[in-house]
Order: sequence, then C-alpha cells, then structure tokens
Amino acid sequence: MSSAPDVLRARGLVKKYKRIQAVDGLDLTVGAGERVALLGPNGAGKTTTLLMLLGVVSPDAGSVEIKGHHLPRHRSEAAAHVGFAAGYLPLPERLRVGEFLRLFGQLYGLSDPKPAVELGLNRFGVAHLADAMGNELSSGQRTLIGIVKATMHRPSLLVLDEPTASLDPDVALRVRTGLNRLCADEGTALLVTSHNMIEVERMCERVVFISSGRVVADGRPAEVAARFGRDDLEGVFLHLAEEREGA
Amino acid sequence: MSTTPVPVTTTTASPWLRIRAVARRHAYVLQRAPQRWFDVVVWPVVDAVLFGAIGVYFSRQSGVGDRGVGFLLAGILLFHVVFQAEVSLATGFMEETWSRNLLNLLVTPLREVEYVAGVVLFGLAKLAFSITVVSTVAFGLFAFNVSDIGLALIPIIAILLVVGWAVGLIVIGLILRVGQGAEILAWGLLAMLMPLSGIFYPVSALPGILQPIGKVLPLTHLFDAARSVLDGDGLPWDELGIAAAGSVVLAIAAAWFVVRMLATFRSRGYISRHM
Repeated sequence: MSSAPDVLRARGLVKKYKRIQAVDGLDLTVGAGERVALLGPNGAGKTTTLLMLLGVVSPDAGSVEIKGHHLPRHRSEAAAHVGFAAGYLPLPERLRVGEFLRLFGQLYGLSDPKPAVELGLNRFGVAHLADAMGNELSSGQRTLIGIVKATMHRPSLLVLDEPTASLDPDVALRVRTGLNRLCADEGTALLVTSHNMIEVERMCERVVFISSGRVVADGRPAEVAARFGRDDLEGVFLHLAEEREGA
Repeated sequence: MSTTPVPVTTTTASPWLRIRAVARRHAYVLQRAPQRWFDVVVWPVVDAVLFGAIGVYFSRQSGVGDRGVGFLLAGILLFHVVFQAEVSLATGFMEETWSRNLLNLLVTPLREVEYVAGVVLFGLAKLAFSITVVSTVAFGLFAFNVSDIGLALIPIIAILLVVGWAVGLIVIGLILRVGQGAEILAWGLLAMLMPLSGIFYPVSALPGILQPIGKVLPLTHLFDAARSVLDGDGLPWDELGIAAAGSVVLAIAAAWFVVRMLATFRSRGYISRHM
C-alpha cells in the first residue's frame, strides 16, 4: 500500500435504489500515484461507487474527499483534480476530436489547451484523429480519445470505468502502455474498474474487491488471491460471482 | 515527452473560460446541424409571413387599416423573443442528453450556473439573429417597423428574456426528473401559454373561464403594454411593473425547481438514463 497522502478518501458510502442496496458502507482510499483496481461481479456496486466518488450520484450516507475538497460542497474544486473516462461513453456528435478536446480542456481550466491536446494525442498514438468527427471513430479510438480528454489537465486521480471493454488486444495494449507512461511521468493515481483480471494484474498494485456493495478484499493482487485460496484474481472473481449467484 | 510545454491550469479565469467553452460547443452544434436553423430562422419567417398576411386580410375586411397588422406582427415578433430564449436553453440542455454528453459534463469542474450561462450566452446570439430576420421580413413584406415601439422595447425584451429563460429552466428540471419524455415541453409549454397570454389580443377576448389564468401570467401584461405603445398611448408602467414582478417571481420559482430536480437527479441516480 502507498504511504503517500491520499488523493481520494471515501468513508461509509451507502446507496440504495428503491429495494436494491447498491453500496453498503464502503470505505476506500487511494494514495497519491497509487494504482488501484475496483473489482467485482456485475451488480456489485462498482459503477455506483465511482459515480458517488465523482459527485454525480449523491450517497445516502458517508463522505467523499478528493485532495482535501469535500463533496458535494466543493465538487467543482475536487473535479479539477480528477479525470474520468469510460468505455461506454460516446463522444458528442457534431464535434471534431480536436474541438472536443479543446472544449473539455477549457472546462478543466486550461486557458490554452492546445499543447495539452497535442501531448495527450501523441501519448496515446492517436494524433492523426485530431480532425476526425467524433461519430467517425471506432470504439477503440473513442476510448483512447476519452482517456486523452480525462488526462489533459494532469489530474491527480484518473478514474476509468471499464476502459478496455470490447477493445481489440492491440488497442487495449496501447491503452495500458499509455496509462503506465502517464502514471510514471506525472505521478497520477489510478482507480480503474475492469473485468479483465490479467489486465488488472499488469496495471494495478492494489485491488479492492467488492460484492453486494461491500469491500470484501483489499490488498496486493497476489495477497488477495492467496487470502481466497485461489491462484490468481480470475479465481477470486469467479468465486465471488458464484457466491453472489448462490445468495 | 519532457520537452512538451506543460499545460497551464488557470483558476481565476476558469468560470468565464468554462462559460465560453459551453457557448462555443453549442455554436459548433448549430453550425453542423442544419435542422437547428428551423427554430432560428424558418419558423420565425413562416410566422411573420403567416400572421402578417392574416393581419392584412382582416384589416381589409374590417377596415381598421394597418393597426391590425401591426398588432399581429408585434405580437409574433415579441413572442419569438420569449420562444427563442426558452428553446435555446431547453434544447441546449437536450443536446447533451441526445449526444449522451451529460456524464462527461457532470464530472468536470463546470458548475450548473456556468453551464446555464454558457447556453444563454449563445442563445442570445441566436436570438439577435432570429429577431433581425423576423424584423426584416416584417418590414420588407408588410412595412411594419418594430422600432416604432421605441425605447419601450428595451424593458419589454428584457422581461421577455427573463420569462423565456425561466420557462427553459422549468423544462430542464422536468427532463432531469422524468427523462426524455418531457422534451416535448421545450416547444409545448410556451405553445400552451401562447393563447392564454393574449399575444395577439387583450385577455378580455379569451373565454371567461380562461381569463383569470391569463391575468396572472406576466406575458399577458407585457403584450398589453406593447399594444398600448403601438396604439400611441405611451408605456403603461403599471402593466410593465406587474410583468416585471411576475417574471422575477417566475424566475425564482424556476431556479428553485431546477435546483430541487437536480438534487433528485443526483440522489436517485438518474444519470443512468443518459449513459
């Protein structure tokens, strides 16, 4: 675990949608520069947790603090330190990639976003897409542009929801390589959800498994696998999924 | 990589920067979506021709001269002020839901008030263009000069804008609460207010049962004031005062409503409808 100061601190998060308890007393911290995976079977509460951490969904109970800024009161200040991308998010129609990135650069407070746009496009090997329309991109290209958007303002914390879902292996590799480089160069902390356990083991130094909205394991990948008596994270994931189906 | 210029994050200029970014985003949309020009140009021109021609026909039939044409054209022109203000704001927000951009925006430092300001800013540019077109058509085809209303136009337009933005906020609140099913209200809500607020006639022309509703609407008093000016009776400050007070009450209620609906949106996780 990282001993660096926390960029994200969430305590006692609770969220219930009608009869469904989506998140049930979840605690989570991410240290500066730490790479953490939030894992769990479908319906475990991962996306709801991320949305609460980002201030898009209000928790029924609990608190979220990002770089010392408490949500929801200081959401705008907190958001300036966070980048978010998700594999399922499209790019807005009727915008060229370069326009989209420059607009979001300004929303994140970059007075001259052009250098950051160029740096981001080069980092992920998609500089040739700058003039393409958003709706002309493949899903892999869209994901890469979404990550560029999320990283232009040099966030302290990058939150990625299923960044490589449905991507070809070569594009997924480019995403991982770009993210690894970003984290190494800028000391960005990473909080990522994924169903690809091999990818998680390659990218993250810490994994947090949740099931039924609660943290059931938190530690280094090998430690967590050992704690459940499994060979790897895939085994832990399958075990939790079976447990959930049996419940 | 280390030689690349480091992006500079500003803090003090950020609100204005974000407002400008939102306005520019909507400028791109208008530039690349020809169908959006219907609201800005086509409908206003159609309305100006339609109501101008109706005015000419009835004026000839009844022998009241050009007054009838002036009333109808002033009514439709001023109605387009409130319509454009409302539709720009409501469809600006709807564009984010149509392009599933809402989550992208909600995770940025953009504040809700900055978003509204950005859409309103671009809406004002569209409004200026639209009103210029209608005024030109009214003058060119029917010799109606909107500037005949004189300086009284300034407070009248200011109040119309406030009413339009307030109705736009109510529509946004309803979309946040019930989803895309409420989108029709972007056009429908003002269409419902149109007959009740007597944009072409005094509220006394309405059926008796509807007159009390018409009298509480700020638009009614505003259109009464405009007709009074066109009649050469000067600006009725009492009517204008009632309209101003009504529009302020409406704006406060609309702001309260949209803030409440946003809280419900966040609390019930309605973002999942737009992901």
